[in-house]
Amino acid sequence: MKRLVTLALAASLVMAFAASAFAGATYDKVMKDKVVRTGIMTDSIPGAFYNEKKEWVGFDVDIAAAIAKKLGVKLDKVPVSNKTRIGFLQQGRIDMSVSNMTHKRSRDESIDFSITYFFDGQKMLAPKGKFSSLKDFVGKRVATMQGTTSELNVIAALKKLGDPAPKVISFQKESECFQALQMGRVDAWSTDSTILLGYAAQIPGKFELVGDFFSNEPYGIGLPQDDSKWRDAVNFAIQDMWVDGTYQKIYDKWYGPDTKYYFPMTEKIELWP
Amino acid sequence: MINHYLEKAWVQYFCLAAVTALLVYYFGWVFDFGYKFDWTVLYVKDASYGIVLGDMLITGLGNTITISLISSVIALGLGVLFGLGRLSQFKPINYFASCYVEFFRNTPLLIQLFFWYFALPMALPEELRYKLFDYNYEMISATVGLGVYTSAFMAEVIRAGIQSIPKGLLEAAYSSGLTPFQALSKIVLPLAFRAIIPPLGSEFLNNMKNSSLAMVVGVAELCWASQQIESLTFKGFEATTAATVVYLSLSLIIAGILNLVNLKLQIIPKKNRTIGHVLADVFFWPFIAPLALLSMLSRNCFRRRTEGFSLTSAQAARKVLLAKVVKVFSLAWKGTFLAFLLFLIVMAGVGLSRFNFQVIWDNIGTMIYWRFPQGGPNEVLWGLGGLSFSILMSVIAISVSFFIGLIVGVGRTSKNKLFFIPSTLYIELIRGNPLIMVIFWIYFFIPILTGAFLNVFWSATIALTVFTGAYLAEIVRSGIQNIPPGQLEAAVSTGLTYLQAMRKIILPQALKQMLPAIVGQFIAIFKDSSLAFVIGVLELTFVAQGLNNRLMIYPFEIYTTVAALYFICCYMMSIVARRLERKLSTDTFRLQM
Repeated sequence: MKRLVTLALAASLVMAFAASAFAGATYDKVMKDKVVRTGIMTDSIPGAFYNEKKEWVGFDVDIAAAIAKKLGVKLDKVPVSNKTRIGFLQQGRIDMSVSNMTHKRSRDESIDFSITYFFDGQKMLAPKGKFSSLKDFVGKRVATMQGTTSELNVIAALKKLGDPAPKVISFQKESECFQALQMGRVDAWSTDSTILLGYAAQIPGKFELVGDFFSNEPYGIGLPQDDSKWRDAVNFAIQDMWVDGTYQKIYDKWYGPDTKYYFPMTEKIELWP
Repeated sequence: MINHYLEKAWVQYFCLAAVTALLVYYFGWVFDFGYKFDWTVLYVKDASYGIVLGDMLITGLGNTITISLISSVIALGLGVLFGLGRLSQFKPINYFASCYVEFFRNTPLLIQLFFWYFALPMALPEELRYKLFDYNYEMISATVGLGVYTSAFMAEVIRAGIQSIPKGLLEAAYSSGLTPFQALSKIVLPLAFRAIIPPLGSEFLNNMKNSSLAMVVGVAELCWASQQIESLTFKGFEATTAATVVYLSLSLIIAGILNLVNLKLQIIPKKNRTIGHVLADVFFWPFIAPLALLSMLSRNCFRRRTEGFSLTSAQAARKVLLAKVVKVFSLAWKGTFLAFLLFLIVMAGVGLSRFNFQVIWDNIGTMIYWRFPQGGPNEVLWGLGGLSFSILMSVIAISVSFFIGLIVGVGRTSKNKLFFIPSTLYIELIRGNPLIMVIFWIYFFIPILTGAFLNVFWSATIALTVFTGAYLAEIVRSGIQNIPPGQLEAAVSTGLTYLQAMRKIILPQALKQMLPAIVGQFIAIFKDSSLAFVIGVLELTFVAQGLNNRLMIYPFEIYTTVAALYFICCYMMSIVARRLERKLSTDTFRLQM
């Protein structure tokens, strides 16, 4: 018995050592190379997208740039999609992923997250004047994107309102959802409200957001699993951005009252004294 | 000494077993994947979602089978129609059938599916559109789209099969007084059937694999389900493996049925029949028995000859009248067809004239070369993308896979088990899966195995190469097997080794015959490069989607331009392939009905 305990202790010691040898690897590498490789989406308006001049811009791009600046390193932008962002992090292809990722417990088993840097919630986008509340969507067809939390949320929300088998159609891309909505194949499109705002603003006056938020979508920056030193560095950078006003500036640039995507800020990010 | 031992079968098997054991040991115990395998996601109820995720795969499998079956029926019907249409002497039908076949064969299925789902409803009047939307339009458009795509290939197979009938047979049939319909149904089709069935069968197999693309229009089929599990749990490896196994078994089942069909079609003396032939007989009895019964009945009913050779004047007059009526009907039918064709052309013209050509003009550059040469430091080739990216990917893939195909194809024909078994495994594993699965595999696996990170461009190109390699290997194999075996025997008896004989005698002849097929494969790979969009390669389809995403209100303009770009490239290559074929083949007669 005693021997077993010793063995287990030794094993756990070795594990701990291995883990500690691994922890901090990303931080040291970033600081040594002076480059942070960051995964960013390419087709999420206004999060990150190519504008008319084919420049890669958006809220997430600016946030990533600000974090890199706080860390004193260069930003290396790597295009990711909702299919690739997790894999890239796990493989070490990128050091962080600023790509409107909702922080979920089940996702936390595979990667780590920073503190929440953006508060979004899920809503429905529908043709103007047709629907007034969430209840009206019972029995209607709703578009979502495959592989997102919004897909599960909308099914759960409709079930709760008494729809026994919600007609949810999952597409691969946001643009496809919007196209399906435009041609009337679906009665609404449901995802995070900022994305909906971004698309609705392209054709002003035709679509509107309907009903209340039916889920919270706290966005976190995806980080490699079990690397607390790196996680701390990113968290501190975000908090510093909030304190010195950089965050507010970026927020106003993309979601402020004068923009096409006006989205009032309702919460504050977590600050540690 | 070593050569002597290597020729023994048990040594070959032993070597293979040893290598397998080593690999299993290395990857099972030594190699660190840096990934926690958790197969329970497939069959244990997931805590955060409250469902067994494996059930999704089963629902997906059901959808895959439904789509494949229905679209096969559509494809076969349309394929027969247009295959015969291409042989018609009435020029408008001939041209129309040729346009149909060439258009659908030379644009990627992905673009076609986008068209059926996203563009077509917009062209319909509002009432009709909403009536259509009352049904499961995702499923309908995917099934019809797939059926139409496959039908173009089947039409070609059927045309080629019918044209393989020697001219003399048809002349004999006509001169013995058979009508064109009789000549077709009694002489040509029964013979052409045997030439058509094997390639037609592989079209059914392709059709099943292509059904994986239905996921882009929101159909929850097998590939969609595996992606869903991946994104819900991030257990991509497990989900992809499960889907791959299911696809492989589906392919194996279809291939097994095709083998039975081939056995059934073989004309072979009774004493040479094997257990396979008996099995085929038993398997097809339910299909053949009712047909045999029907034909027996009809033979008994219609055996009486209604016409003698000497006609009364009344009979003769009736016959003349009948012939006139038939002529009027055929003229009327031709007229209707022409009117229909004219209507189509006018509609297309009206549609085109409403296009906003300024939008196309402004963005054509983006579609062809993306933002070359002003790309960021993280982009391959100075920000190249769009059409030129697609071409580059397929050129690299075809060049490298040519050598893979050559080696594996020769290995497949080798008698040495050491080469034969691995080659066969490679070919069947790859060909049993849809390309989209191969792309996901390469994408997940290369980084884990090598620890190096590839740009998505390279990982898609490698996937295309590995995929094409298997198909080229089959082309090489059939090319080698088409060379009379006496050549190899003669070469070996003059003292050449097996490899020398291959290199100096067999391959030079076989390669010449293979050229058209290789060009055909190149067209296929060019179209398939559109699939790389699923992992975010900036090729033509991806760029088009990005443009559409930003411009929003010009989907017709963009998708038509993209389809035209793909079509122009593919069609030019298919002209090259046809030239080659004509140059290399001796029999250039064109059979007409």
